[in-house]
Amino acid sequence: MMSLFRDPILLAAALGTSLPFLSMAIILIFTRHNQRLSASISVGSVSTSVLCALYLLITLSHAGAPIQYEFPWLLADDIVIPFGYLLDPLSLLMLNIVAVISFLVQVYSIGYMAGDPGFSRYYAFQSLFAWAMMSMVIAPSMLQLFIFWELVGLASYLLIGYYYEKWSASQAGKKAFVMTRLGDIGFFLGLIILVLGFGDLSIVRMNEAGQAHNIPQYLLTISALLIFGGVMGKSAQFPLLTWLPDAMEGPTPVSALLHSATMVAAGVYMFGRIFPFYSMSPEAMGLALAIGTVTMLLSSTMAMATYDLKQVWAYSTVSQLGFMVMGLAAGGYFAGVFHLTTHAGFKALLFLCSGIFIHEYHTNDFRIIGRQGGRKLLIPMVCMTVGALALSGIFPFSGFFSKEAVLGVLANHPNKLWLFAGLLGALMTAYYTFRLIFFMLFPKSAGEVHGEHDSHGAGHGHDDHDKEHHGYIFWTMAVPVMILAAISCVLGFSQSSLEHFLLGQGTVPAQLAASHGTEAHAVAHEGHGIGHYALLLAAVTMAVGGILWAFFEFGRKRATQEGFLRLFPKVEQLFAARWYMDAFLRRFLDDVIYSGFTNLFTRNDRRIIDGGIDGICFFTIGSGRLLSFLQSGMLQYNLLVMIAAVGVVVLYLLLA
Amino acid sequence: MTSMEMASFPVLTAILMSTIVGLLVIVFIPDGRDKLIKQVSLAFSAIGLLLSLWVYLNYDVQKGGLQFVERYLWVKGLGIYWFNAVDGINAPMLLLTAVVLFTGVLTMWELEVRVKEFFAFMFLLVAGVYGVFMSMDLFWIFVWYDVSLFPMYPLIAIWGGTRKEYGGMKLTLYLLAGSALILPGIIYLWVQGGSGTFDLFELQRIGFTPHVQRVAFVMLYLGFGILAGVWPFHTWSPVGHVAAPTAVSMIHAGVLMKLGAYGILRLGMTLCPEGLSYWSELMALLATVGIVYGAFVGLAQTDLKYVIGYSSVSHMGIVGLGLSTMTVNGINGAVFQMFAHGVMTALLFSSVGYIYDRTHTKMIPDLGGLSRTMPVASAFFIIAAFAGIGVPFMASFWAELLVFISAVKTYPVRGILAVSGLVISALFMLRVVQKTFYGEKNEKWEHIPDVPFFLATPRIILVGTILFFGMFPRIMLDVIQSAVIPFVASLSV
Repeated sequence: MMSLFRDPILLAAALGTSLPFLSMAIILIFTRHNQRLSASISVGSVSTSVLCALYLLITLSHAGAPIQYEFPWLLADDIVIPFGYLLDPLSLLMLNIVAVISFLVQVYSIGYMAGDPGFSRYYAFQSLFAWAMMSMVIAPSMLQLFIFWELVGLASYLLIGYYYEKWSASQAGKKAFVMTRLGDIGFFLGLIILVLGFGDLSIVRMNEAGQAHNIPQYLLTISALLIFGGVMGKSAQFPLLTWLPDAMEGPTPVSALLHSATMVAAGVYMFGRIFPFYSMSPEAMGLALAIGTVTMLLSSTMAMATYDLKQVWAYSTVSQLGFMVMGLAAGGYFAGVFHLTTHAGFKALLFLCSGIFIHEYHTNDFRIIGRQGGRKLLIPMVCMTVGALALSGIFPFSGFFSKEAVLGVLANHPNKLWLFAGLLGALMTAYYTFRLIFFMLFPKSAGEVHGEHDSHGAGHGHDDHDKEHHGYIFWTMAVPVMILAAISCVLGFSQSSLEHFLLGQGTVPAQLAASHGTEAHAVAHEGHGIGHYALLLAAVTMAVGGILWAFFEFGRKRATQEGFLRLFPKVEQLFAARWYMDAFLRRFLDDVIYSGFTNLFTRNDRRIIDGGIDGICFFTIGSGRLLSFLQSGMLQYNLLVMIAAVGVVVLYLLLA
Repeated sequence: MTSMEMASFPVLTAILMSTIVGLLVIVFIPDGRDKLIKQVSLAFSAIGLLLSLWVYLNYDVQKGGLQFVERYLWVKGLGIYWFNAVDGINAPMLLLTAVVLFTGVLTMWELEVRVKEFFAFMFLLVAGVYGVFMSMDLFWIFVWYDVSLFPMYPLIAIWGGTRKEYGGMKLTLYLLAGSALILPGIIYLWVQGGSGTFDLFELQRIGFTPHVQRVAFVMLYLGFGILAGVWPFHTWSPVGHVAAPTAVSMIHAGVLMKLGAYGILRLGMTLCPEGLSYWSELMALLATVGIVYGAFVGLAQTDLKYVIGYSSVSHMGIVGLGLSTMTVNGINGAVFQMFAHGVMTALLFSSVGYIYDRTHTKMIPDLGGLSRTMPVASAFFIIAAFAGIGVPFMASFWAELLVFISAVKTYPVRGILAVSGLVISALFMLRVVQKTFYGEKNEKWEHIPDVPFFLATPRIILVGTILFFGMFPRIMLDVIQSAVIPFVASLSV
């Protein structure tokens, strides 16, 4: 413990991750009634976290071996649960992403949540999230990772259901918790198998190649697959993906922070964290690749059929997460992590911009926002376009570089199907992204657009509000957005230095990852298989093609703004209903869980177990009543019985 | 027998006396002095709490074994001893009992009906519970066990709510049936042991033939198992919880059910290790069924107290599963879960108690939107629900973690089934939280004030306990482990 205070690195790690916990405790216990103070405490603690994270990144950028520190929190016979820190390039990168975006979102929320009655509660939960997420990121063992992983899930539940008066919000929170819990059961069982096989769950040791020989290959594959269940839950992979679009019921800054940039990326992060371990099981990697692909394609189609601003970004998040999983599963450690990094930046940007529009126009329908002059809000409109360009993968924005990296890995995969899926995904992404952008940039008057219902009073009086909103409230929201936009513009150019940082050090996981990742990358560069330039051309064609397609349908002057989907109502319905996944889930819950097991067991409890026991009791009472006729209370009768009994006894004694 | 040092001050007897003297004082306070009765009750329960805490903190983990021993021959001919001692297993149980009694008294602060009798019965009940937990003599364990059962019927039938006579009667009959199995089990062991002693550890040293162990174990297991809510002997428990007044539900679910699990561990498993390994497969099966089944049935309930009742069935299944693994961490987790579940259920019932006192309903469809009008009172329930779901940094999380790891190791299929039950238990707890506390403000309850600070203290104490042992599980686990490791070692010999 003492070394903690002597070593500035450990001190920074401890301080940075646990200050938000203190902030949460203080807000909940003491400052609940003082909103301003609560927000200051929370923002203060998270800005300290940013400083600590940056300090660690800078001092350790050339550290070589990862720094590990742990102390046992629980010693239960042969199971040791340590808490501590593993500071290596991956965790440092993620720590900084989480800290910086948390900080920006918390600043943004000062404006966005201003005047909300639950303001202090909001900041307490934000602090809870920051603590849990950062402690998860720097976990040195899978058990610590799992513990904070669960805690992050709790924070997510609380923040999605923040507007708990709204039934849909609390419903969405519950759904998120239970669906991720479903994946976590697999995660937990996988960890148990590993505990029994390995003895301990230190990430560094798990990733050492030699360790795999300690347990048989089939167990390794089973545990890798089970652990992937956790990724599927947390990162909303097929079929556990519908909770994420529903999670948009939370306040928009929460969607930006948890349900796009950081928390949902935790699954991908965990995948990357034990990437060398996964690499030992080709079966698990293959399944992950398939699931990632299905997820990406399915959710892209869903995004084409919604008119809800946040829903589009939510589906897009699911799809991009699928894309990251594809990258990792195809062996591209760096590509997957790099896309995670850039995505965190531009997706948070898109959500925060959307938040400004929603705050201003009180509606989520981007057609209405467009028609009411959303483009006049210059800062968010420009920034959102920047984010959209990055998402579509247009040079020079950050998404271009990371998508290229992932596609490069896919191109190197022997099965070209994955590459085509990836390119198709890129096309759809550009299409649905710019469908939204063009709706907002080039609104048609209400008469020209069919089949929508103007939600009443949505835009009323926003003109009067305009001026007062351009006070501190506007700027607390606009400044974080501009910072993120700037990041999205320049982050892509850090590719090579980031790659050097993540792969260039002598750590075991990095070495192993490097042998996969850079190989693939190098091959792509050298032009084996599909040449690098051909690939580049294909990717750019897809992105630009998607944008032009969207422009043709929604942007140009004579555009009908109807989209090709209108021609296929059945298909549109399929996409809009999320491929009926929710309906299926509902049916499953109703028929199997509620009317099935629950009903069966409840009836069994009442009728058979309880009924049986009560039956015995009534039988006892009944037979008691029968016998009680003997006890009639008449003295003569009793005497008679007594004499008879005595007589029998005497007779017996005499004769025996 | 492990090393024993007689305690210089009979602190365990003092804990027991805090309830018995308290009971006598309450009885002699004239009727109508309700306030005084409550204050006296609080004072005596506080003495018990402080002494139990002192014992817990002064228990020497390094040394282990029995400590604070008081052992005097009482009836020579039968070998009955006044033998109280503490080891790592019952130290947490004594603390749990004290915490639940203290907070229970506080929870009943607003009671107005027959106050004197209520607290008198409650103290009698807890005297029995303390007695079972601290006694190491089979005779006394049985006596105290029956002392703790007797007051349940009047407590439920007089102060209870929904179907109180039915619930009270059902509970009493079940528990008496249990004790009708335990008594012959104890006498059987006493006879087989040479009739010389009721001392638990003497009997353990004598040892029994495998056949005797199998017969005795199943009697003790079923007898105590009824009290522990083992499936399919659990139906008394939700019905009884629903019928009972708040503090009685707290003690009942929080402590009394643990008495059953403790009995299985202390008597059954200690004296009949062969019987345990013979029956452990069945134990694991019943426990697993209980975990999953309890969660499913809980999903269908519309009465808040029924929901908690079935969650108890499910959570006590985790205790049973842990015990059945016969591994260090299984039993570690089981004992930890006994403590954690005790505090958690007490908190759940205590929170419902306040809501019920104010709204006069505990039907979930009638409630709803309570968070808006009483945020603090709601928060207590929600925190307890999270503890029930197994959120990290709540005491039960660690317990469940240890139990499940051991269970999957020992009984893979049953273990996996039990772990999968976690999804259902999350679903049913969150469903209750949503329907009761979330949603639009309910105008019916708009006038109800949030819980005032003094009335919130019992819940604050319980939340604090859950979080404290959730944050620092070692403080609990090291104590438990000091007894469990030698115990499991003795099983394998």
